[in-house]
Amino acid sequence: MRAASLVVLIAVVLPFLLGQFWAYQLGLYALYAAAAVGVGVCWGQAGFLPLGQALFFGLAAYLSGLAFVAFQDTPIVAVLILPLAAIAAGLLAYLIGSLVFRRSGESGAYFSMITLALALLAFQIATSWNSVTGGFNGLKGIPGLPGFDDISDVYYVSAAILLAVLAFAGWLYNAPIGVLWRALAQNERRLQLFGFDTNQLKAVAFGISGLMAGVGGAIYAPQQGIVTPQVIGFGLSAELVIWAAVGGRASLFGPVIGTLLVGSLTAQLRDTLPFWEVLMALFFIAIVLVFPRGVAGLAEPLLRRFPPRRRKQAAIVAPGDPAARPPAKLALDDVSVHVGEVTILDQLSVDFEQAGIFCVIGPNGAGKTSMFNAVSGELGAASGKIGLGGVMTSGLAPHRVSALGVARKLQIPSVFPDLSIADNLAVALWSGRAGKLALLDPRLRRWTSPMLKELQSRYPFLAAGARKAAELSHGEQQILELAMALLTEPRVLLLDEPCAGLSPEETAAAMEIIRWAQQRLGGAIIIIEHDMSLVKELAQIVYVLHNGALLAKGSVAAIQADPAVRAVYVGGEK
Amino acid sequence: MSRPRLRFEDLTGGYGSTTIVRDLAGAAIAGEALCVLGRNGVGKTTLMKLLTGYLPCMRGRVLLDEQPITALDPAARRRAGVSYCPQERPVFDDLSVRDNLTLMGASRKLAPFRRYFDRFPILERRLAQHAGTLSGGEKKMLSFVRGLAEDQPVILLDEPSEGVQWENILHMEALIVEKKAAGAAFIVVEQNLAFAERIADRYLIMDQGRTMLEGSRSEIERSHVLEHLHV
Amino acid sequence: MPDPLIVTQAINVLYGVSTLAVLALGLAVIFGLLGVLNIAHGEFVMIGAYCAYVAQAGGWPYLAALPLTLAVCAILGLAVEWIMIRPLYRRPFDTLVATWGLSLLLRKIAEAIFGLGYQSVNIPLPGTVKLLGTEYPIYRLLLIGISLAVVAALVVWYGQSRTGSRIRAMVSNPELAQAQGISVRWLAAGTFVTGTCLAGLGGVMIAPLVPVQPFMGLDYVLRAFFVLIVGGLGSVAGLFSGAAAIGGVDSIISAATNAANGYFAVLVLAILFLWLRPRGIVARG
Repeated sequence: MRAASLVVLIAVVLPFLLGQFWAYQLGLYALYAAAAVGVGVCWGQAGFLPLGQALFFGLAAYLSGLAFVAFQDTPIVAVLILPLAAIAAGLLAYLIGSLVFRRSGESGAYFSMITLALALLAFQIATSWNSVTGGFNGLKGIPGLPGFDDISDVYYVSAAILLAVLAFAGWLYNAPIGVLWRALAQNERRLQLFGFDTNQLKAVAFGISGLMAGVGGAIYAPQQGIVTPQVIGFGLSAELVIWAAVGGRASLFGPVIGTLLVGSLTAQLRDTLPFWEVLMALFFIAIVLVFPRGVAGLAEPLLRRFPPRRRKQAAIVAPGDPAARPPAKLALDDVSVHVGEVTILDQLSVDFEQAGIFCVIGPNGAGKTSMFNAVSGELGAASGKIGLGGVMTSGLAPHRVSALGVARKLQIPSVFPDLSIADNLAVALWSGRAGKLALLDPRLRRWTSPMLKELQSRYPFLAAGARKAAELSHGEQQILELAMALLTEPRVLLLDEPCAGLSPEETAAAMEIIRWAQQRLGGAIIIIEHDMSLVKELAQIVYVLHNGALLAKGSVAAIQADPAVRAVYVGGEK
Repeated sequence: MSRPRLRFEDLTGGYGSTTIVRDLAGAAIAGEALCVLGRNGVGKTTLMKLLTGYLPCMRGRVLLDEQPITALDPAARRRAGVSYCPQERPVFDDLSVRDNLTLMGASRKLAPFRRYFDRFPILERRLAQHAGTLSGGEKKMLSFVRGLAEDQPVILLDEPSEGVQWENILHMEALIVEKKAAGAAFIVVEQNLAFAERIADRYLIMDQGRTMLEGSRSEIERSHVLEHLHV
Repeated sequence: MPDPLIVTQAINVLYGVSTLAVLALGLAVIFGLLGVLNIAHGEFVMIGAYCAYVAQAGGWPYLAALPLTLAVCAILGLAVEWIMIRPLYRRPFDTLVATWGLSLLLRKIAEAIFGLGYQSVNIPLPGTVKLLGTEYPIYRLLLIGISLAVVAALVVWYGQSRTGSRIRAMVSNPELAQAQGISVRWLAAGTFVTGTCLAGLGGVMIAPLVPVQPFMGLDYVLRAFFVLIVGGLGSVAGLFSGAAAIGGVDSIISAATNAANGYFAVLVLAILFLWLRPRGIVARG
C-alpha cells in the first residue's frame, strides 16, 4: 500500500516538476506504457512473447477514432464506445490466443511468429483501406475528449488510465492466476498435471494484454487527434517489447519504467545521436542474454531493504473435500503405443486394485514410464482403452485426466523453482478445488488443509513458506513434489522412482510417508521402482513389464520364483 | 601383468542434483574385458556415460594410459582412443548401413569390414538399406561392427547382445576374443550372464549405484553373481 | 501459340516460387536441420542486398557483391552462433528472443549507415528476351535458373557428400555422432554459417528487383518461415511444396486482386497449417 500511495503521489506531482512539454510527452508515453504492461503480462508472467501488440493498440485507436469522428456532434456516445473499443481488442486477442495455443509443443515460437505476421498484415490493411482508415496518411481530425482540452488534462487522463491498468495488473499478479502464470512459465507440464488448462491460461493472459493495449489505444485517438498506420504496425510492436524488456518485464513497474524512460528519451535522442538506437539494440540483447531483470532488477536489492509490511494473515481452510470422491480402479485394456517404427506399449493390459501400494518393475525400455505417460494423457494410445473407475480417460488431455483424480510425481524432481514453497503448495491445493473465478481472489493464497498441516508437522521445512523452491536440497525437492501430489488427495497416485538420489535416512522417511499416505487417502499408489529393497518393503502387488507388455503379476515372492521373470533379469541362451 | 589402458577411480555422478552412482573404481586392461553387471536401474549406463564424457563427474577421475581425460567431451575421448557403442539409439536410422559403417573412416571402401561381414552376412546384404529399417538385434550388430572396426585401444560396449540371436552372440564373442588377443581393452555392460561369462576376465557387480562385488572371474562364484542380478 | 498473358503469369509464378525457395533455403538449413528459429534470417538477406548496393556504389562489377556478402555473412554468422545460438541450443524460445534482438540490432545498424530510405540497385542484365511468344526480363529468367541450380546443388551435396552425411548424422542422433568423434559444435557452427551465407546470397540475387531498405528483411523471414511450416521441415520436397503453396497463392491472388490480398491469403494459409497441420505437407518423422 505504501508503494502504491508513493506512485500516485509522484504521478500527481510530476507535471509540476517537469514542465508542460514533458508532461505532454509523458501523457503520450503513458498510453504506450499501458500496452507495455500487457507485454509484461504475457512475457514476464506467463512466459510467451507477443511480437505484434500494436495490433491491439492500433485496432482500438482506429475504432475509437472512427467513433469520435462519427459522433462529433454527440461526443458522449463516443465516450461510451471508447471502452468497447478496448474490449474488442481484448476479445480479439483472447480469440487468437485460444486458437493458437491449442497447438501445444512449439507454440512459443510459432505463436510469436503469428503475432508478428498479424501486426504486419494489420499495417497493410490500415495503409490500403483508404476509405475507412484514411490510408497511409491516417484518420485525421479526431475531436478530443469532451471537457479535457488543456495540455495538462492530456497528462492526467493518461496517468489515470495507466494507474488503473497498473492496479489491475498488480491485482492479477497477486491473485492465484498470477501465481499460475508464473508457474506455467517455469514448468508448464507440471502445471497441466495439476489439472490446469494451460492453453486457456495463456489465452486469458493474451486477452488481458490485448485489453490493456486497447485501453491505451482507445484514449490515444481523441488525445492525439490523428491515427496513422504507425500505431498498428511492426515498429511500435517492436518498441513495446524493447521497453518492457529493458525496464524489467517480470516486475509490475518495469515495463512502465522502460517505456517512460527509454521511450521518451529515444524520441528526443533519435535525431541527435544516430547510434542511439544501435546502442539500445545492443542493450536489449545484453538484457535478454545476461540480465533479464532489466532496470527494475537494479532496484531490487534496494527494495529488499524495505520489506512490505505484511499483516500476519490467518490461513483459510480450503473448501471442498476431494477425498469424498470414492476410490477407483485404474485399468489399461489392450493399450498399444507406437513412436515411429518402435512399439513402446504392446497390447498392454493391466488391472490395478483400487486401494493399496503397488510396484511396477521391469528392464529398461519395458515401458514403465511410458505406461504412466499414457495414463496421464501425455502419450496418445494408438489403440486400446484406459479407464479410471469405469470412466474412460484415454484421449483426454492431461489436465482433464488430473482433474479426475490422478496425481503424478515425475522421475526428476519437478516443482516450480522460482515460486516460494508456499506458492508451490498453494497450486496443489487449488488443483481441483478452485473454480475459475476464484482464481482472481487473492485470499486463496492463504489456503491450507488438514493434510497440509500433517505434512508440515512431519516436514517442518514445508512451513518455511517464503523460501524459493530452488533453494531446497535435492531430497527436499523430492519431498515437496510428493507433498504437492498428496495435497490433491488423488484417487490414484503415480510415483516414478520417488527415492532416486535420496540418502538412506531420506529414503526411510519417504517410505513411511508413502505408507501413511495410502492409509490416509485410501486410494491406490503405483510406484515405478528399480530398488528391490524398496519394492520388498512397500509392495502389496508387483507388476513386471517387459517389451511393453505385462509379463507377470503377484506378490514379491511369487514373481521372484517366476522363471519368465528370472529369464528377463538374468538372461540366457535362446 | 598387462597394463590398464582405461582407469577410473572415486567416480560419482548423476543427473542434475540426483546422485546415481558413487565411488566406482575399476580398469580396462589391455587384452582383457571387464564386465559390469547388475539389474537395470543400478547405474550401469550412468557409469558408461561418466566414462565416455556425456555426464560430468561430481567426483572422481577417468584416466586413459594414466592421462586424465575427465575434462574431455565424448568426441575428444573418441579421438583419444576410446570407442563407444551406446545402449540406446545405437545406429543412425536415417543413414544407410554402408554410411553408418564408413561415416568416419578414411574412405568409403568396405574392404576393412570383410572379416565382419563373414560373420554377419546379413549386414552385407542390407548395405543399401536405411539402418532404421533393421531389427533391434541387427542394429546392435551393426553398432558392434562399427565400434570394433574403429580399431581403438579401448572399447566400451553397453549391452551389445540386447535383442541379438544366440548364434550371433557367439560371433560377437569370437570377435571380442580376437580383439583382446590383439591387445584391445574392453569394458562391457551386460545383463545377459551367459554372454558375460564367456567374455569376462573381471567382473564389477553393481547395486544401488555402488560396487557390490568386484574381482577376477575365478574369484567370484556364479551363485554370488546370480544373487545380485535377480530380483 | 499460348496466350502471352498466361505465359507471363506462369513464368511470374515460377519466378516467385523459385526465388522464394532460395530465400527460404538458408532458414531451411538453420531451422530445419538445427532446429533454431533464426528471426534475423531476413536481416542476412538484407545484408546481401546492401552488399550489392555497396558494390554498385563502389563501381565494382555486380559479381563482386558475392565474395563481399559471403565474407560478411560468414563472419557475422560465426560470431552469432558462438555468442547467442550455442548457449541456447536446447531453449528454442530464448533463441527466438535473442535472434529477435539481433535482427533489431542489424536493422538499426543498417539504418545508421545507410539511412531509412530506399536504395536502388541496377539490374546487372537489363533487357528482355522473347520467350514463348512474349517478352520476359532476362534477369528474372536468370534468377529462376540460378535458384533452381543452387537448391539442386545443395540437395545433391547434402545427400551425397560425407559432410552431408555427417550433418544428417549429427541432426538425427547427436550423442552417437559425438561418440564417433564428430565435433558437433564445429559442425553445427558450420551449418549455421552455411544458412546465413545462403540468406546473403539470396539478398544479392534479388537486390536489383526490390527496394533495398533496412526493414526489408521482415517480409522474407516471415515468408521463409511460412514456407517451412506449410511445406514441412527437413526435406527438399517440403521446401518446394511450401514454396509452391506460398508463392503460388501469393502470386495468383496478388495478380488477381492486389498485394495486400495476396499477403492476406498467405497468412490465412499459414495459420491454417500452423493450427491444423503444423508438420506441413511433407511431414517427416
